[in-house]
Amino acid sequence: MWQRKKTAENELAREFRYHLDKLTADYVREGLSPDEAARRARLEFGAVEQIKEDCRDVRGRWLEDLGKDLQFALRGMRRSPGFTAVAVASLALGIGANTAIFTLIDAVMLRSLPVRDPGRLVLVTRVMGDGNPGSVSYPIYEHLRDGMASLAGAEAETAATATIVMDGSDELLDAEWVSGTHYGVFGLQPAAGRLLGPADDTPAPMAPAAVISYRYWQRRFALDPGAVGKTFTIRDRTFTIVGVTPAGFEGTRPGRDPDVTLPLQMMLTAEQRGEPTNNMLYLLARLRPGVSRAQADAELQVLWSAFQAKVAATLPIKDQPTILKQRAAVFPASNGFNALEYRYRQALFLLMGIVGLVLLLACANLSGMLLARAASRRREVSIRVAIGASRARVMRQFLAESLLLAALGGAAGLLLARWLSHGLVTMLANGGTLLLTVDPDWRVLAFTAGIALLACLLAGLAPGLHALGNAVNPALKEVRARGGFGFGKVLVIAQLAISMVLAVGATLFIGTLVNLHAVDPGFQAGGVLTFGVRVNRPYPPARSFAVQQELLAHLQSIPGVVAASATQVMALGGGLWTRNVQVEGYAFRPDESEEVGFNAIAPHYFATLATPLLAGRDFSERDTDTSQKVTIVNESFARYFFGARTAIGRHVTSVKVTYEIVGVVKDALYRNLRDSRIKTMYIPWTQRPGDQPSSYAYLARAASGDPLRLSAMAERAVRETDSELRIRAPRTYSAMVDQGLVNERILATLGGFFGLVALVVAALGMFGVMAFQVSRRMNELGVRMALGARRADIVGLVLREVAAMLVIGVAIGVSGALALSGLARNLLFGLRPTEPGAFALSAAVLCLSALAAAWLPARRASGIDPVSALRHQ
Amino acid sequence: MEPKSDLLQGTLDVLILRIVALQPIHGYGIAQRIRQISRDVLQVQQGSLYPALHRLEKRGWLKASWGEAETGREAKFYSLTALGRKQLAEESANWRRLSEAVTLILETAE
Repeated sequence: MWQRKKTAENELAREFRYHLDKLTADYVREGLSPDEAARRARLEFGAVEQIKEDCRDVRGRWLEDLGKDLQFALRGMRRSPGFTAVAVASLALGIGANTAIFTLIDAVMLRSLPVRDPGRLVLVTRVMGDGNPGSVSYPIYEHLRDGMASLAGAEAETAATATIVMDGSDELLDAEWVSGTHYGVFGLQPAAGRLLGPADDTPAPMAPAAVISYRYWQRRFALDPGAVGKTFTIRDRTFTIVGVTPAGFEGTRPGRDPDVTLPLQMMLTAEQRGEPTNNMLYLLARLRPGVSRAQADAELQVLWSAFQAKVAATLPIKDQPTILKQRAAVFPASNGFNALEYRYRQALFLLMGIVGLVLLLACANLSGMLLARAASRRREVSIRVAIGASRARVMRQFLAESLLLAALGGAAGLLLARWLSHGLVTMLANGGTLLLTVDPDWRVLAFTAGIALLACLLAGLAPGLHALGNAVNPALKEVRARGGFGFGKVLVIAQLAISMVLAVGATLFIGTLVNLHAVDPGFQAGGVLTFGVRVNRPYPPARSFAVQQELLAHLQSIPGVVAASATQVMALGGGLWTRNVQVEGYAFRPDESEEVGFNAIAPHYFATLATPLLAGRDFSERDTDTSQKVTIVNESFARYFFGARTAIGRHVTSVKVTYEIVGVVKDALYRNLRDSRIKTMYIPWTQRPGDQPSSYAYLARAASGDPLRLSAMAERAVRETDSELRIRAPRTYSAMVDQGLVNERILATLGGFFGLVALVVAALGMFGVMAFQVSRRMNELGVRMALGARRADIVGLVLREVAAMLVIGVAIGVSGALALSGLARNLLFGLRPTEPGAFALSAAVLCLSALAAAWLPARRASGIDPVSALRHQ
Repeated sequence: MEPKSDLLQGTLDVLILRIVALQPIHGYGIAQRIRQISRDVLQVQQGSLYPALHRLEKRGWLKASWGEAETGREAKFYSLTALGRKQLAEESANWRRLSEAVTLILETAE
């Protein structure tokens, strides 16, 4: 572009020179001396520079002028590197934070699956209590797949991990069990071999087929075509690899790329295949061409009510309402089964709002700084306008400056965003794996460019207008224009208001995290190591319980382990399973739920987790398969069914088994920290001989220090128990509890960080504007001092101004925060969105920091020596 | 800024197109030609000529290329494009109609 401009200038000069030379030659021929000829030629030709300007005007000079403006701006920036660094850094922070959050929103919500026409994909499924899509049972899948005319195809799948044995070694893979229609619905072409089709999906195929992912093909086979045709075993079934999915296709669940897909029917039990209430599958479908989602939904409602009515008719009256009140809907699914979206959407939107405010704050701050610079450039602007620059031209000069800053800030922000978004993904994954692509795509780049441009306009417009408003007269006359700086105050007020909103947000989110940490979950996660085990082949029932007990014995003998146990469901790790019960001496009302939560545990569970046993005894090795079936209930259970009377010795029956209550323990939270306390029955694993060692999570409490240090010894204990047994995912219990607080922690961390940044920025803005005010009013203050004003009066004068800005800023901020904090209601805990304490605290901190920032200029004002102040002018 | 012109706006354009239509020619040549052909009646100022040339080039009626002039020096030669040829035909017709109309009024009113 610059090359072209240079050539054009050069050509213009050469063209004119030729003409001039010809004219000169003409005069020489007429007999004039060369000097005189040249003079006459120049005279005749006219004002060369003026004609050049006209030609440039004609050719269009927009780019050229922009170049000049930018060069000028660049020179100005080089002259004040400090200002430039601060401005670029604050814009980089604002733009970088916005880009990072947008990158995540893009990765989690906006990217479509790389399949044929992803916009036509829908989830046809049950609606959960929170309005999000849920899972369906195999009979529902069959019913909808065959019954819905709106669908061109439907597929069902379920995710699991599978241990495969190939070439003599075993490996734990992420697997997806899919219906035969799976790849057809997506219209995918294999990278090698073939994909699974309907013929593969039978309960007992002659030659079970498996498809591996491109990533796995790369990882294990280095893209060797010989991978197709290889066999591996899962448990006792042998599968043949028949093909590879195309590169770029990473399965149907963002964040997870299954290594292998297997035929669904092979893993379904007869119960799963036939039970309409066993919801364990995810159903994805493609709309028939020309059918809208609303039409499909209308059709679904009809089929759904009929189906649910049929299912309900087979159940006892009491259980019917649960079935009948279930709803189904058609959800858009261009990005597959996006559990991430439903899990993180609200937090991401809130973060987007927070960083949006941060950017606005950065713009207000930059605008304030540019304004102060513009004030000092007023004379320059006046001269430019006076000698004929158009107002638009001057305005463009100001915008060029902020454009340059925004471009630099945007570029730096993009770098910052890369780092930030990787950090955010790590925070979201929280020690696990989360395969999210956070490389900026066109949407992210467009977004960044867009906000950089917006920042440029926001920051550059005001100073430019201000400088123009004061152009020519007052400035040239050296009159210190009054007013004018009112806009600077407006900007400080805006910064205070935005900071107030951010501070309230930070206080609420940090308060929520503190409250959640203060919740007593009924056990102590700190100091406990947890892990699972896996085995290639299930143990025969006679052996499996022996393995469990041996493993536990090995664990308990590890030096440094004070207690060890095992549990089917980890507290704060998932929901208990539920069953209906009959309780001795308690009559249920007809409409009363008979459901209670169940968990199977090993002895010493309560000791390991430090859950107090309130009455009775713990399970022991003496509770065996052949002795009386026993149970320990929690406090909620005991109080609900027995009130103040003792629970010990009473009997509870469930699925024809009668348990005697031998103990009562304190309540523990299972699903998450916000969960309510559920009536719970614990039953001993010693009385469940059929379980596999892999269906338990193992716990070991360390005597002291980081429990993760035990994991090597735990691994050895697992191998010593059985050479076939492998340890799985050892981690601290606390890390797992933290997993449930990812949203809250990210909001508290980022909200707190940006709240702090906002305070600093607002304080700096306040300092800047007050320092400027004081230096401008040096004269006036000097006169006041000379006339007898005391130092305290001067400080009061300055601080009154600060207080006025504070009151307005905080008031606007408070009403803004009141309007916005309701959006975060679901993510708060133990705090109302309008919690007065949070507002008061935020306002207090903001006022203190603003006053502290104004203190220095006020001190300086009070220290003015009247004589030197008057000479100052 | 508006180009200063002694000629009626648009008239200079058609004159330039007409001259260039004869053969590729440089700016100095165009000025000379207009003066010679009009027998010194029309004098084109460089201040009008060059902006007009650049304007016509930008509109795509003229194209410019550097070539060797009679003196052996490099000069910028303008030539007519297909679009320019069409424009010239239109403008000439317009001009004739206009001048006939003006003549008619002047003669009838006498």
